[in-house]
Amino acid sequence: MLETVDLSKSFKGNKAVQNVNLYLDQGESVGLLGPNGAGKSTTISMMSTLLKPTSGEIKLNGANTLGKPDELRKVLGVVPQEIALYQELSAYENLRFFGSIYNLKGQKLEKRIQDALEMVGLKDRQKGIVKTFSGGMKRRINIAAALLHEPEILILDEPTVGIDPQSRNHILETVKNLNKEKGTTILYTSHYMEEVEQLCDRLYIMDHGAVIAAGTKLELLSILSSEDTNKVELNHLDESFIQEVKDMEGISKVEASNLQLKIIAKKGSNLISNLVHLAEKHHVQIVNFHTETPSLEDVFLHLTGRTLRD
Amino acid sequence: MSHFIKKDLLIFWRDRKETLIALLLPILLIIVLNFALSGVMSDDEDNQLDLHLGIVNQDDQEVAMTVLQEKLVNEASFTEANALAVSESMYALQPVDQLFAYFNSEEIKDFVTVQKLDEDEANQRVEDGELDGILVIPEGYTAETLYSSITGEAPAAQLRYKLENNTNENNILFNVIDGFIDQLNYQFALSKVEGSENAIVHAPQGGVETVETHTPFTLTVAQYYAVTMGALFALFLAATVAIKTGEEIRQQVVNRIYISNAHPTQFLMGKMVSTFCLAWVQLLFVLLTSNFLLDVFPDRSASFWAGLMIIITLIALSIAGLSAAFTSLSLRVKNIDAANGLFMFVVIILGAIGGGFVPVYILPNWLQQIGEWTPNGLALVIYTDWVQNETVSSILLSSLLLVGFFLLLVVIGILLYPKRGNAK
Repeated sequence: MLETVDLSKSFKGNKAVQNVNLYLDQGESVGLLGPNGAGKSTTISMMSTLLKPTSGEIKLNGANTLGKPDELRKVLGVVPQEIALYQELSAYENLRFFGSIYNLKGQKLEKRIQDALEMVGLKDRQKGIVKTFSGGMKRRINIAAALLHEPEILILDEPTVGIDPQSRNHILETVKNLNKEKGTTILYTSHYMEEVEQLCDRLYIMDHGAVIAAGTKLELLSILSSEDTNKVELNHLDESFIQEVKDMEGISKVEASNLQLKIIAKKGSNLISNLVHLAEKHHVQIVNFHTETPSLEDVFLHLTGRTLRD
Repeated sequence: MSHFIKKDLLIFWRDRKETLIALLLPILLIIVLNFALSGVMSDDEDNQLDLHLGIVNQDDQEVAMTVLQEKLVNEASFTEANALAVSESMYALQPVDQLFAYFNSEEIKDFVTVQKLDEDEANQRVEDGELDGILVIPEGYTAETLYSSITGEAPAAQLRYKLENNTNENNILFNVIDGFIDQLNYQFALSKVEGSENAIVHAPQGGVETVETHTPFTLTVAQYYAVTMGALFALFLAATVAIKTGEEIRQQVVNRIYISNAHPTQFLMGKMVSTFCLAWVQLLFVLLTSNFLLDVFPDRSASFWAGLMIIITLIALSIAGLSAAFTSLSLRVKNIDAANGLFMFVVIILGAIGGGFVPVYILPNWLQQIGEWTPNGLALVIYTDWVQNETVSSILLSSLLLVGFFLLLVVIGILLYPKRGNAK
């Protein structure tokens, strides 16, 4: 349905996005993951016709939209990362205005407003002035404003940043309903891996302006199928100990936090005995040890060398 | 486009602090300035002109008829009989007497005090600052003036006006005298056409016109500030609208508008029309409230008020044009805060040279001339003309200029308006 072909964008010679190829099939829910500065927002800005690509194409149902973005805009709804609302107006007044710019009028506009408010669970707060709302409520209205023209494709750019768990759950439910019940195609970016795992059929992982991995959850997890994620709790952390762990054979990644080490190692690499030996040498006591099945977070760490929130 | 206008008006209305400042602060300032500056501006009783003129009369009117008669015979080839008849008839005109009668007329003696002096004494008094100027009636003035009026030749003796310094008062006196000479020449010309025997000599009328020429601001303090303060705060309104555009950019709502299929200029037109409405209401409110509180325009006709409505409309249009240019600039610049500072700076400059802060006539002439090319300065010119003359012809040219100013700003706004996706 929507596809980018070798999409690139440079700012003053610096390549922010390089040859990105994405596709979204009708009714699909796709996640776009990447740390800060990975190029997600630039990619989304180009896909939502706000930014002109330096090169490449954006195709809607096979037709390039770059010369004629109107068709794309008709079917596209965008929930920006920022609260793109008039803070001085009420929720209802905001929705009325944003509905009007899509040429909705009269009863039809009124119905769409009420439907959108119902969907985000704020029908009873529609008269409230937006600036008096909590962060979570603002984010829900932010989503409602993108739904008024009933878009076939909805792009959500980190829609749950900085909100309470209740609002977050409500937003996730809303997105899930839009996708499952209304058949809306979703492109969802987030810093929260569990959100993407919960909502999306397929994932794209971006880093340094390029897509570095793509596929379903299982396909991505298979990247680490030959490796295990091991969590080791220690009585204290010793820098030389960590360094020697990193240098051990069969170790892909080591991440230290508090008194815990997260070690991604090849299966059958005899990790436990090597680790015990090393601990004795550095007078470090292993308090706890367990092996986990790799998660998408681990895949992300493996691919980018960073966590999602870096 | 109506939803854009409604949205902008609603946002402005919700900002109660901004609304109160826009509506009430000009009124407050008008009241304060009215009390503070009454007595300074030209219309006040205590500030009436009080000019002192010394007249040095070196002419001997007794011999003037004989001299005239001889000149007509010797230099203009008149016969003795003709020369006598013409001289007797013209002598009745007595320009020197007319001059004194002119200065003793009700209109002139209210603001010009005349003293007859000899030349040395008059010079001394000018030096001492007791006189604003001296008018010298030279020897042979009556004979030469009458001869000149008969033959059409340039008179050999003319009135001489002497002054110590070039001041407004001196200029006014000079124009009073100049007005007298013009009137006198006109009467001579009439008497020639009609035949000197039947000439009816009218006392020259003129002092009032001359004073008007040199004191263009015949407005009261309240009248002056009712429009300049309104226009100044309307200018601030244009900057406020642009600043709110900056907030819209920060809040990303501009992007949300861009990705809808709404025509890009709807946003700009919405800003312009809403600014026009706000400025119009503000200007009207300031004028009506100040009129209610200070009786700014007592006993004025309905047509006068209708004219004021048109002037308000013109000012509001120019302010709307300015907001269009500011809005487009806001959308283009990278640093919104710097842009907002620039808008405020421009508004303050326009306000200052357009007479918004201090009466425009106290500014240097060159600055006044530049000020007349600002929207508020131009509005002041139109308004002053309307209050004084109340004729469409007197304000037509300036009004067209203000409309031109509006159109120019709109074109600038449209040209500067970024293409979709280029807004910072």
